[in-house]
Order: sequence, then C-alpha cells, then structure tokens
Amino acid sequence: MLRKLIYLNWSAFLNRLTSFQTFLVVGYIIFLLILFSNLLGSALVIVLFDQNPIVTNQLPWLTAEIHQLITLIFANVLWILHFSFTSTRLLNMEENRKLLAYGYPVKKLSWYLNLMGFFHPLNLIYNFTWLVFLLMQIENLMYIPVVITVVLLNYAVIYSIKHRFLKIVEKRFKIIVFSALFLIFGTIQAIAIISRRFEQIIAHYLPSIDIINSYLFYTPGGLLQYTATGTYNLPTASAIYGFSALLIFLIFRDHFFKTREGLQKPVRERKIFKRNKRWYYLKKWLGLNAGKFYHYVLSHSYNRLQLLTIALIPAVYIPLLLQLGNSYYSALLIPTMLAAIPVALLAMGMANMFGYENKEFLLHKQFPVSFEKQLKERFLGIIVVPLLIFYLITTAEIIYLPQLGSVVEIYVANTFFFVCFTLVFLWASFYYYKKVNYSSFSFKHPIISQKVTFMMMFLIFGLGYAVFAPLGEYQIYRLWVMGGLIIAIGIYLWRDMDLLVRAFNNHILDKVWADSGH
Amino acid sequence: MDQAIKISGLQKSYGSTFVLADFELSVPEGNIFGLIGPNGAGKSTLIGILTGLLDYDEGEIIINGHELNEQNELLIKQEVASVLQPPLLFEHFTSHDFLHYICDIYEVDPKTRQQKMDSLLEYLGLTEFEHAKINKLSAGSRKKLSFCAAIISDPKVLFLDEPFESIDVISIGRMKTILNHLQQKGVTIIITSHILEIVENLCDDIAILHNQKIIAYLDSETRKELQKDATLSEIFESYVEIEQPKNDILNWL
Repeated sequence: MLRKLIYLNWSAFLNRLTSFQTFLVVGYIIFLLILFSNLLGSALVIVLFDQNPIVTNQLPWLTAEIHQLITLIFANVLWILHFSFTSTRLLNMEENRKLLAYGYPVKKLSWYLNLMGFFHPLNLIYNFTWLVFLLMQIENLMYIPVVITVVLLNYAVIYSIKHRFLKIVEKRFKIIVFSALFLIFGTIQAIAIISRRFEQIIAHYLPSIDIINSYLFYTPGGLLQYTATGTYNLPTASAIYGFSALLIFLIFRDHFFKTREGLQKPVRERKIFKRNKRWYYLKKWLGLNAGKFYHYVLSHSYNRLQLLTIALIPAVYIPLLLQLGNSYYSALLIPTMLAAIPVALLAMGMANMFGYENKEFLLHKQFPVSFEKQLKERFLGIIVVPLLIFYLITTAEIIYLPQLGSVVEIYVANTFFFVCFTLVFLWASFYYYKKVNYSSFSFKHPIISQKVTFMMMFLIFGLGYAVFAPLGEYQIYRLWVMGGLIIAIGIYLWRDMDLLVRAFNNHILDKVWADSGH
Repeated sequence: MDQAIKISGLQKSYGSTFVLADFELSVPEGNIFGLIGPNGAGKSTLIGILTGLLDYDEGEIIINGHELNEQNELLIKQEVASVLQPPLLFEHFTSHDFLHYICDIYEVDPKTRQQKMDSLLEYLGLTEFEHAKINKLSAGSRKKLSFCAAIISDPKVLFLDEPFESIDVISIGRMKTILNHLQQKGVTIIITSHILEIVENLCDDIAILHNQKIIAYLDSETRKELQKDATLSEIFESYVEIEQPKNDILNWL
C-alpha cells in the first residue's frame, strides 16, 4: 500500500511537469547535491581542520577554545538552517485526502504520509549532515545510539513545532530566514574582515571565549553538540537515550493524530477583513493596470522574499568584495551584481505579467477600454520600475564606486546588460505564449522558482563576464559594439512593444477561457 | 418591438468541432430571455462571443443597433455587462476595491457610486464581506458579487450565465426582484440556466439550444399555450431528442 501511495504522489507530481519543468527538476536535483556537498564539506572541515599540522602552524591563534567556539557557531547556524528549511508541506494533502473517499484506511494513510515527509531529500540532507558532524566528534561507541536518537528527536521537535505552530512560524518566516541569512553572510563577512588582523582582535576577546562557549552550549546547536562531545557515563547515556526515544515516540504519535485530524477535518481558511491602502497608492502612482499588476505581485509573499534576497545578497557581498581591494574578481563581480538587481526585478515582473491574473484577463477583455491599451500599460509599468532602480544604481556606481570605470563605461555596460535581458525575457515569454503557456516561466506558479533563479545566475554571470571583465586597451572596441547593440535592441523593443500583447490575445485567451471552466 | 440582439449565420468551431453552426437568434428589447439547452450545447460559448471574449468564424451580430466588430467593440462593451459561470472576479482584491475598480472603468459617477455599492451589497447580504478578500468568499457570495459588478455600471444589455447556481433561496428572490426592476427600465436580460423552474417563472421568451442551433423559440404566447398541458421541463425533453440508454445497462447495480 505504501508503494502505491508513493507511486501515486510521484505520478501526480511528474504528470504535471512540462518537458521544460522536467529539465528544471534535474537542475534542482543538482542544486540539492551541491547543497548537500557544501553542508557536509563544511561540517568535515570545521571538525577536522584543527588536526591538520599545516593549519595549526599557520594559525597559531587556533586554540581548543576557539575551535570549540567555531564548532558551536556552525552547529547553531546549521540548526537555524534546518529549522527554516524543513518543509512541513511536502505532500499534497488535498489530493491524498481524496483517497479516503475510495476506502483508503485513515490510520495507514496518516502514518505513511508522516513517513514520506521524513524521506524528503531536504530532510535527509540535514539529518545526515547532523549525523556526520556529530559522529565525527564522538570518543567511544557508547555515544552512537545517543547521537542518532537525539538527531531524530531534534528533527521531530522542529517538524512538530513547525506543523503545530505553522501560522506563527509562517508569520515569523521572513524574520527567521532573514536572521539565518544575516547570520551566515554576517559570519562570512566578519571572518573575511577580521582574518587579516585576527590575532589582535581575538587577543582582546580571548579571556571571554570560555564564557561565550558555556552560554552557546545551552543553545539548540550546542545541546546537540554536547551529546557527542560531553562527558557522561553509561547510565547517563542510557537515560538520555531512553528519554529521547520516549519523546520521539510521543511526538510522532501526536503528529500521527494531527495528520489524521488534518485529513478528516480540512481547515477552513480564515477570512481576512481589513482595508488595504497599498492598492490606492499603486493605483494613484501607476494607474489602474500597472497598479493592479504590482498589487498582485506584492500580495504574494514569495515575491516579497525574492525582493529581500535581491537586496540582501549584494548588500552582503559587495562590501566583502570591496574589502578585497582592486582585484580582477571584484572589478568583475561588483558591477555584475549591481547590474543584476534591475534584471532580477524585470524577471520577476515578466514572469508575473499574465500569470497571476490569467483568468481575470477575461474580465479585462470585457471592459470598454482597448485590451491592447490595458496590456501595454501593464508592460510599461513592468519596465518602468526596474528602469528606475537601474538609474539609481548606475548613478550610485558612478558617484561612489568610480574605480569600476568611467561614467560612459558604467552607463553603457549597465544599459547593455538591461536591454539584453529585456530582450531575453520578451522572447522567452513570446515563445511560451506560442506554446500556450501563460507566463514566461511557469503557468501554474507565476513566480520565478528557485530552479530558474539558479539557471538565471549562470546567465547573469556569463553576460557579466562578457560585459564587465577588464579588457585594458581593447575596452573601447567593446564599448562601441555594446553601443551599437543597445541602439539595435532599443529600436527592436520600441517597434515590437505590442509583441506580447498580440501573442497573448491570439494564443492564450482561448486556453484561459477553456481552463476557467466556461 | 426593436431587437436588442440580432444574430444571423453565426458559426463557431473549436478546431474541427462546430459549437454553433448557421445560428440565428433575435431577442426583443426589454425582454428577460431564457436560453436553455443540455450540457455542452454551446450556451456559454454564445455568451462568450456576445460579450466579446471569443472570436467567431462567420456571421453577423448586432447588439443594440451596433454591429459587433472592431470599430464598435468598445461602444458595445460600454453598454453590456455579464455574469459568467464561474464568475470573473479580481481574486486578490476586496469586494469593496473590486467594485470601485469596476466603477472607475465604467466611469460611474463618483457622487453616486458609494451609495449604489452600499445598497447593492446590503440588499444581497454581502455587507459583512465588503472588506474580505474575494478569494476567501464562498461560491454563492462570489456569484452575487459578480452580479453586483455587472449591474453597477447601468448596462443596457445583461448576459447572465447560470446566475442562480450556488445561491441561497432568499438571495435568488432578491436577484429576481432586481432583474424585474431592470426590465422595467428597459434593460434586455439574457439568462442561461439549468434550473428550469426559475427560467419558467422569470423569463418572457425562451429558446432551446441544441445541436449547434436554436431548435425552438417559445415566445410568451406560445409558452402559455404549450404550458397548459406540460411543464417547461417536459417541453424541453420533447424537443431535445437524446438517445435513451438501454434499460438493462445498469443491471449490475
């Protein structure tokens, strides 16, 4: 029965994939493998690097206390990551609930769904990393069952907290993610900044490290760490083992009942009764059509998270790269990252252009206002906001980062970057409309998925290399080529502004009509 | 009496399948007109064409004296409103913001729009959902909100596709009252529905759509005559000849 259930869930997932999405799933698997190797690699390095004689020679400040501090920080960062990214909505409850109507026993279904949730690749990656990280630090075999049990207990607690207090966690999700990102990037930056004069800085704080460590042992990561490195005898180990096993049993039992209840009593969504002022401002500033588009984009929490990421990554990495001084890589990476910000905003806009509101376009088409005019207003709105950001960034670069190049160089390169991606998104959207897909990336979820973001990074850095890599005396030729291409692409974009409007009108509307159940 | 809608020689196909072929229909001005037919007969497609959502292959359509073409499209849309099944709404708006949007588009007088909105919402029992997000509303409330949006712009022709589906009895009664008021103002109303009792009571003329065309047009006089001996449901069955399944087909039950 479990085999059939897994088959059902997988086939429900796979059958919805287009060939392009299948390709993206392969990309996602690669992403997971990279994530896995990064986490595991970091765990190995952090546990073992103090045992390498070359490292101990070159880093005389690496005392046992400091190594313990680094290990504890890693344990806590790993725990925050684990907590933030353990997914509790892995399975399609709506679809699985239907099985009850066909006589599938509710007890078995609840139990199997819990099991299947546990075997999600993300959960496996984090739990396996914990096991490797902790088991490498144990001193005798007695610790093995304790560590395994405590890792399972940790997972059960995280899973249970997130499931039981899902609403609270969702509300605080942005804060949690932001804190985790801040902690990770902040740690990287702090290490990079202080590594040059580590000894002076650390000498100041050295007497306090023991105290910091003693506090860190009471944090979630610290407690896990203690199960592998703490000193305790067999009766204590047995007590921890027994107590943890009992807790795991109780938590999973509780979760089993909650899943059963969830299957049998679907939660009715809460009605929201509040006035929304955002729409009035957007309508005032951008008009009825572009205003409505941005209202929808901002209504989607995933987009707000993407905006946060778009702002956060350069805010962390650019100071870090500036710390490195005038190197080849900072000359290449800083302008690429800055030029990528408006491009990312443009991608968000183009991906959403028709996606969220595809059915609503039927109503728009009934309005006594030219449909073409409505869609053009929207398209212009999508371009105008990233363009505004583009001008702000370019001006800031010219004023505050003159080392990146002359005014003309920065302006031409950034403009070229922007128009190239506008063209890419326009063509991508057109291609998908011809294939009767609503948006340029996905018609089901009109947001740029992590997989696509991953691929776009390759494109951005590829073009960044072509546009921003220092060329010395040949720079002038590249400027001329880019200038010529900007004019050509600009004329093309201006003349074919209504390309997407026509494509949507001719290819998509019938499909939307049929999909809307009319 | 003038004709509010006149359709002649209309053809519409999806690929090689014809939904409407040599379709002819005239609806008198100020009429509450019922269009009935079995599932898949093409009622919704016809409404889709008349509201300018779907293209058609051939034919001529005249609405309120204007031929439906690119030139007159916006003029006709200014005078026409509709409730489709499922209703078309702005899912991430509140009922209040959605109705305001509609008023902006149809340039409803800002001085009267709030009063119009409040009275409609109150009459149809939607006041408590005024600031609720539309995607959280029940099916019946969504249908009623779509109905409010359709009539707030003072249309001259109103197309209602299954307007009473999912709606409670009290609200159906109130919607019927509103429709009667609109009829008195001269509005032409075209209703498609499978609830034949409502069509029977509410509509003046009724047409049966089957096999891509109108197979019976029952004006009020003809209906009176026919309904002496039979209900609308029985009249409908007598016109729509659907192959009867064999009696023993469900023997396994």
